[in-house]
Amino acid sequence: MKNLIQSEIKKIFFLKFSKNYLISMIAMGLALGIIFSLTTNVTQGKAITELSPMDIVSTNMLGVDLANVMLIIFTALSISKEFSTDAIYVSLVVTPNRKKFFASKMITYFLLSIVVSIVMVALTYLTSQLILSVHGMSRIAFQNANLRQFLLGVSVMPVFYCLLAVAATFIFESSGGSITFSLGIMAIPALIKMFSSTIQKLVMPILPQSAIHSLSGVAEQNSFESLGIFFSICILLAWIILVSLIAVVKFQKQDI
Amino acid sequence: MIKIKDLTKNFKDKVAVEGLSLNIRPGVVTGFLGPNGAGKSTTMKMILDLIKPTQGEVTIDGKYYKDLKNTTSKIGALIDGNAVNPNLTARQHLELIATAGGIAIEQVENMLYKTGLSKVKSNPIGEFSLGMRQRLGIAAALLGEPETVILDEPFNGLDVDGIHWLRQLAKDLARQGKAVLISSHLMSEVQAVAERIIVLAKGKLIADMTIEEMSKKSLSAYIKVKSENNELLSSLLKKKGAFIQNANDENLHIRKMTLKQIGIMAKESHIALFELKEMQPSLEELFVELTEGKVEYISTKDIRERKDGRK
Repeated sequence: MKNLIQSEIKKIFFLKFSKNYLISMIAMGLALGIIFSLTTNVTQGKAITELSPMDIVSTNMLGVDLANVMLIIFTALSISKEFSTDAIYVSLVVTPNRKKFFASKMITYFLLSIVVSIVMVALTYLTSQLILSVHGMSRIAFQNANLRQFLLGVSVMPVFYCLLAVAATFIFESSGGSITFSLGIMAIPALIKMFSSTIQKLVMPILPQSAIHSLSGVAEQNSFESLGIFFSICILLAWIILVSLIAVVKFQKQDI
Repeated sequence: MIKIKDLTKNFKDKVAVEGLSLNIRPGVVTGFLGPNGAGKSTTMKMILDLIKPTQGEVTIDGKYYKDLKNTTSKIGALIDGNAVNPNLTARQHLELIATAGGIAIEQVENMLYKTGLSKVKSNPIGEFSLGMRQRLGIAAALLGEPETVILDEPFNGLDVDGIHWLRQLAKDLARQGKAVLISSHLMSEVQAVAERIIVLAKGKLIADMTIEEMSKKSLSAYIKVKSENNELLSSLLKKKGAFIQNANDENLHIRKMTLKQIGIMAKESHIALFELKEMQPSLEELFVELTEGKVEYISTKDIRERKDGRK
């Protein structure tokens, strides 16, 4: 397994495209966060100095959302390339145990998404502090429990959606299918909110976004999104396990 | 040894391979022939577990391919020279395989040198010709120094030098005791390199024997004789059970007799021979006979072995 993961990491970083894309992703995520933070008078109708430090960090963290979407696209493109070029023949001749091959992909992208997530969240937090200082506002300490919960919740998002995209790419064998599926799961809550409260009550608690919002502490109390920490973790794990199971079963049976 | 037993693959309504049973033996280059759609690539992919059989099984030293440890030292395969990420360099492509297969990285340089790709190792594969991609695929197949080498249409796109190199390579590998399975539609190439031939048509096995055995059975194989009295010799040979065809004033075309038998008979009958020559059919002629179903080419020994294997 160690060899396979090393090979998968090389598969990503041997390509110039990957390095350029990942650096651009972080830069664009940071830039978007800063733009959102500095344009609150347009987007929220309030000057930045009227917002609380936590609101500014929260607005700046919207850049992580962009990085998340870009990471989904990167994951789908990188893995689907192996199917579209038929390079999967070579991979499976070397590693005929398809469960092991799938697991190596999941672990590799899990590690990659953790690194991306930590770097993004840490840099966004630092830029938030910079923005607060520049505007003469008091900085928000890392010791703040609400901040730490928020940062942890935000960090989980890219990791979760990246793993979802890995499994989805094996299911659809195409970047288009994988991206549509992963972004679709992200977009469902917006659609569900158009339905009656009975349907919202049924569906919202089982969606990943509710779990992520609950983990980061941004879910409003008594809303349909509000779940406990344990239940939120269970929901996210259930999604990953379910989609991965479908992917593995399909991948093991299919002719390449 | 690779053992294929009753292998069948159906794609929806189409039968790609039907009840195929054979063994791939070490120390021999085996040619895998068949018209387009005969099921050669499907069979090779089933050996490598890339395609799941509808029925039957393939075992390598008694194990399924997916259950093998150190697969790179057991089987190396070239399925499609174009099945690579064109943005990688040749060296990177081989290094990925070496890393995944636990092969020493030094072996990458070694294979690049052996396949003549050292000078272009840092170029993106997207810039490679088909022949260079085939060489890279062969390098990948041989990277783990496997016991069995499976090459699907490896001559495609190779230039004259490449074809000579591959012929020599296949022979060298067999000499080292490795099993080499080469599929090709270029019969002349298979004839130049293979000792044993397996022919598929419409997914069914129609021949599995050495080229020598096959030639003996062929309708296109005969002994050409020119003598001082063709008429007398012809009648004497017919009495001994020979089959004589295309006899004309100059030559006799004799089947079902050996050179030695004809020579001795001519000597005993005091008939001077001016020419006595064994005429071998080309693989192309054999192939036509096979695919037209003229001759049964599966040796009885092999049928017996296969039946024993099923018990």
